[in-house]
Amino acid sequence: MARRRRRRAIRLAAILGLAALVLWSIEATIVADTDWQRIGSPAAILKSVSRFLTIDFGLIPQLLVPTLETFMMACLGTLLGLFISLPVAWFGALNATPFKPVTYPLARFLMTLSRSIHEIVWALIFVAAVGLGALPGILAIAMRSVGFISKIIAEAIEDVDPKPVEAIRAVGGNSFQVMIFAIVPQVLPVALGTIIFEWDINIRRSAIMGLVGAGGLGLAFFRQMAMYNYGGVTTVILAILCLIVLGELASTAARKALI
Amino acid sequence: MTALDDSAMAARVAQRRWHRWRNKGALLRSGILLAVLVFLGYSLHFLNVDLARLLDLFGRTGRLLAERYFPADMDYVLARGYLASVLDTVQMAYLGALFGMLLAVPLAWFAAFNMTPGPRSLYPAARLAIMGCRSVHEMIWTILFVTILGFGMLPGVLALTMFCIGFAGKLFAEEIEAIDRGPVEALRATGANELQVMIYAVLPQVRVAWTGIAIYTWDVAFRAATVVGFFGAGGMGWYLKRNIQQLENQRVAAILISIVALVIVSEAVSAWARAVTAKAK
Repeated sequence: MARRRRRRAIRLAAILGLAALVLWSIEATIVADTDWQRIGSPAAILKSVSRFLTIDFGLIPQLLVPTLETFMMACLGTLLGLFISLPVAWFGALNATPFKPVTYPLARFLMTLSRSIHEIVWALIFVAAVGLGALPGILAIAMRSVGFISKIIAEAIEDVDPKPVEAIRAVGGNSFQVMIFAIVPQVLPVALGTIIFEWDINIRRSAIMGLVGAGGLGLAFFRQMAMYNYGGVTTVILAILCLIVLGELASTAARKALI
Repeated sequence: MTALDDSAMAARVAQRRWHRWRNKGALLRSGILLAVLVFLGYSLHFLNVDLARLLDLFGRTGRLLAERYFPADMDYVLARGYLASVLDTVQMAYLGALFGMLLAVPLAWFAAFNMTPGPRSLYPAARLAIMGCRSVHEMIWTILFVTILGFGMLPGVLALTMFCIGFAGKLFAEEIEAIDRGPVEALRATGANELQVMIYAVLPQVRVAWTGIAIYTWDVAFRAATVVGFFGAGGMGWYLKRNIQQLENQRVAAILISIVALVIVSEAVSAWARAVTAKAK
């Protein structure tokens, strides 16, 4: 009885502590840090929101090419990401890695690195390295996708049925041949599903690449923002939404057709 | 080989029906693959990608890093101002994740097709809200909120809130859709209303999965929080932007290293917390 009461007291104290922490952060980050004078009354906020609530129809014809560019950037980035993730997944699967003490940690490090750096940061690095244009966007999307694709594929490799692997080894296949003839056929369905999923996400990512200098809809968004053409901003966002909905429909159809 | 065998073989061969294409599916599949490859090749041309630059990418990146970024200015990262911004980032991430998940719980309830209280009205509305939050990238949310509310951490928190509504809402709803119907029907039979069914039949079933998702959401929100400052919403991203614009490349290198280190720490913490909750099941 006493024990239960003590446990309840500890839980209550923990909840109160957490609530105090949350309240303190709300006070520190939101209340103290915000310039309430500048935001003004709710009516002023509504007024600045309402500036966005128009559509600039004149902009629509100019958005077709950027939309296509965004789409292409996502496709090429996913493809390049796939090419990079295949060796990473091979190295990162415990049962397939060629030389465990070196290649396994290396692959795990690459996976974490790829996922931990935000796509904006990758894009900044590549814009500095290869200059403006679609290429840094493609590279950034590819690097950002490597972590997820290779992690899922590596997990699929770790779950494969070991019998075909042993059969290929028994006839004298080296570790590359084991990979191609015993493991790849088994992980292909998982890999395809992952790639389609990642492609879907990459469309969203490629729509912001233009914010840091790699063309597409992000650049159009940035330009409209720089011109304070808020109706144009809304139009660009609607174009992004259309593209994403189309991508989602296409990826659902592709997943049904392939798997 | 006797003559009989030969003729029997010939008869068997004559009986077999030969097709140029073994099955039509293969033809269709190769056609689609070819079309995709042609499209990808054309998009390389359309986007004006200079593949020669891709070849010397590693050399250039290596030289760039070695010459301009190399001795990362770690003193800058360990200085007080920057460490305070790290604390701001952590707070922004968890407040955004918290608000986002508080809003995502009712939306997920409305957006799960098997438990939604209003299949005609609330279901499509909640679906649309979650999809809208998901589709707009967190950086675009940040820019919009900064435009409306001005610089500071409030727009960052709100942008992360929108992001987390989309991210957690979808995963929460998928968990609700996968529950066991038994307890739900038992409660319905006793005359419980929708809210009671939700609290006593659904929540106990999804509690563990939702905790895991919540931890993961916080992890992803933290990753996004490191860069929302890039567009004017406080935290580390603001330092990143400022130093990039001042071409203080060694400081930029140090900031990038600190971001990677923090994200790795947060990922380790979230993996540990998820393992603990999975065990508590």
